[in-house]
Amino acid sequence: MGSGPTVGSDRPSLLASDASPVPERIPVTDIALQRRLTERFSTQLLTAVSARHDTTEIIVGPGELVSVMSALHDDAEFRFELLADLAGVDTGVVLQVVYHLWSPLSPDWLRVICDGLPRDDPRLPSVTFLWNGAEWAEREAYDMFGLIFEGNRDLRRIYMPPDYQSFPLRKDFLMPDDASRSPGQGVRPIEVAFQTAESGRVPLMRVSPGTGSLAGWTRPGEVGAGDPDSGGQVGP
Amino acid sequence: MTGEPRVRSLDDPSIMVDSPATIIDAVPPYPPRTEREAEFYSLKDGEMFVNLGPQHPSTHGVLRVVIKIDGEQVVDLDPVLGYLHRGVEKICENGDWHHAISNCDPLEYIASMFSEAMPVLVAEKLLDLEVPRRADYIRVLAWELNRISSHALFIGWLALDLGGITPILYGFIERDEIVEMLAALTGQKLLFNYLRIGGVNGDLNHEFLSRLGDWMSRAGKRIEESSKLMNENEIFVGRTRGLGVLTREAALRTCVTGPPLRATGIPYDVRRAHPYSVYPELEFDIPTRTEGDSYARYLLHLDEIRESIRIIDQVLHQMPDGPVMAKLPRLLRVPPGRAWVAFESPRGQYGAYGISDGSDQPFRFRIHDPSYFTLQAVGQLVPGHLVADTMAIMASLDPIMGGIDK
Repeated sequence: MGSGPTVGSDRPSLLASDASPVPERIPVTDIALQRRLTERFSTQLLTAVSARHDTTEIIVGPGELVSVMSALHDDAEFRFELLADLAGVDTGVVLQVVYHLWSPLSPDWLRVICDGLPRDDPRLPSVTFLWNGAEWAEREAYDMFGLIFEGNRDLRRIYMPPDYQSFPLRKDFLMPDDASRSPGQGVRPIEVAFQTAESGRVPLMRVSPGTGSLAGWTRPGEVGAGDPDSGGQVGP
Repeated sequence: MTGEPRVRSLDDPSIMVDSPATIIDAVPPYPPRTEREAEFYSLKDGEMFVNLGPQHPSTHGVLRVVIKIDGEQVVDLDPVLGYLHRGVEKICENGDWHHAISNCDPLEYIASMFSEAMPVLVAEKLLDLEVPRRADYIRVLAWELNRISSHALFIGWLALDLGGITPILYGFIERDEIVEMLAALTGQKLLFNYLRIGGVNGDLNHEFLSRLGDWMSRAGKRIEESSKLMNENEIFVGRTRGLGVLTREAALRTCVTGPPLRATGIPYDVRRAHPYSVYPELEFDIPTRTEGDSYARYLLHLDEIRESIRIIDQVLHQMPDGPVMAKLPRLLRVPPGRAWVAFESPRGQYGAYGISDGSDQPFRFRIHDPSYFTLQAVGQLVPGHLVADTMAIMASLDPIMGGIDK
């Protein structure tokens, strides 16, 4: 590694496995971190600490966000100093805000999900008091999902024009054409002929996560009418 | 249709006054939405606004920056984004995982080998997919070549924004050789669309290897030559040293990554801090500087070019044989789950957060672009400096608007 950084060097080296020329890639999860998180935040978490791949995940409600994030940032046992990402998510039912954090003390990423934000009034505290760089990320989440971060000094739209009304990344944002049809269903959006409003076809909308290609796809006002193969046909 | 003609003559002077496309006021034509906006768009005695962009040669894309100045000194600034916004995240949700690769290509249009890696790495993580080792090595080779070409252009641009024309010619010669090389490999010069979920699109070919071998004999020489022009140039050093100083604490608080963070002395590079691909098997250093100013960021880019050449040399010596694609069904249904990946692009930590619901399309695809956060730092670095230094500081942070506006 030469005179590289000392951070993260406690990760097991893939070079160590001399037996095989192909290093075995075992997904590393940091058991010690999971134990520390469980001990420290046991009452504040909505679900148990989970881990997959190289990411440890905790889920908190908006009321606990400030205390959990402050502790993760400030405490000597965590030291999650780097906010790697802040993302809004629409599950189709509720909104979430997902934070990804990095610490020199753990080989894992930490994902903090602030869950259970209602669609009609999604409010949660801002984390700009810890990372002022979150200001624009929160502006983006506000612009795309309508999430209101209380404490952000400059919460206005960042991409869309100021008179814009909708929140484009929400799942109930209707696309103006049939471009939201899944190409996996055999019809490429670009091949769908132009359809007038009179033809009565409403674009498919994805409302909730499910399993399988067609799960979660409905047309508003229609039940079981999603025949994917009639996409190219216009008229009655 | 009313009696109004649809097209008015361009000679009509009223168009020049009326049309919002021709004149953009610095002050927005609507009431302030936040306290910060109200504070910014009210002038104290002696202050005025200057509208930089959206079509300004130094904005590296289409960016408008409203600068509040007092005499020659910048008091505050407000970047106005969205000119290149096309909703990539929504587009990715509405195409399948393979479509996301080409949709993400134009984000980092100087180094698109990196931005197209986002959906690839996320989908591979969700699929628990083992990529053939040769494909991993080819990826690292392509990434490091692209990193050098991007850094070469950065050095040229920085000098260009300060008024020097020569370095960008050298930078473009270096970049052209690499771009031709990658064009032989991928078929594209700018938006490569080369990485695939499970590997890469096509093995190394003869033309690529012969160009690469030819280039390796003089790799980075032109950059070193042009750096001789700049490193001790009195004007260049005078306009970059001590300017736009980013402290360690401010860099961490602003979520800045990449060269601007390493120029403050923090050795955070995702290739080492959270290794991915075959980087743990390669020997290279993470260069850092402690000054945190524009000059340190420039020198850091030179160091990184040297390290990338070291990596390419090792990759060529260690390149294993084997397939370059894992076997996958054509209609790829990604198992349900959540995955976050991060990797080091020339501008910092690129990240992607994917949620799959088990269908062939991403349920949510979040793109984290480092330039977005680096541009935010401009608002902290520029106030107090002269108007002319705004461009020097912005260029030294190296933001790319394609990724910022998404």
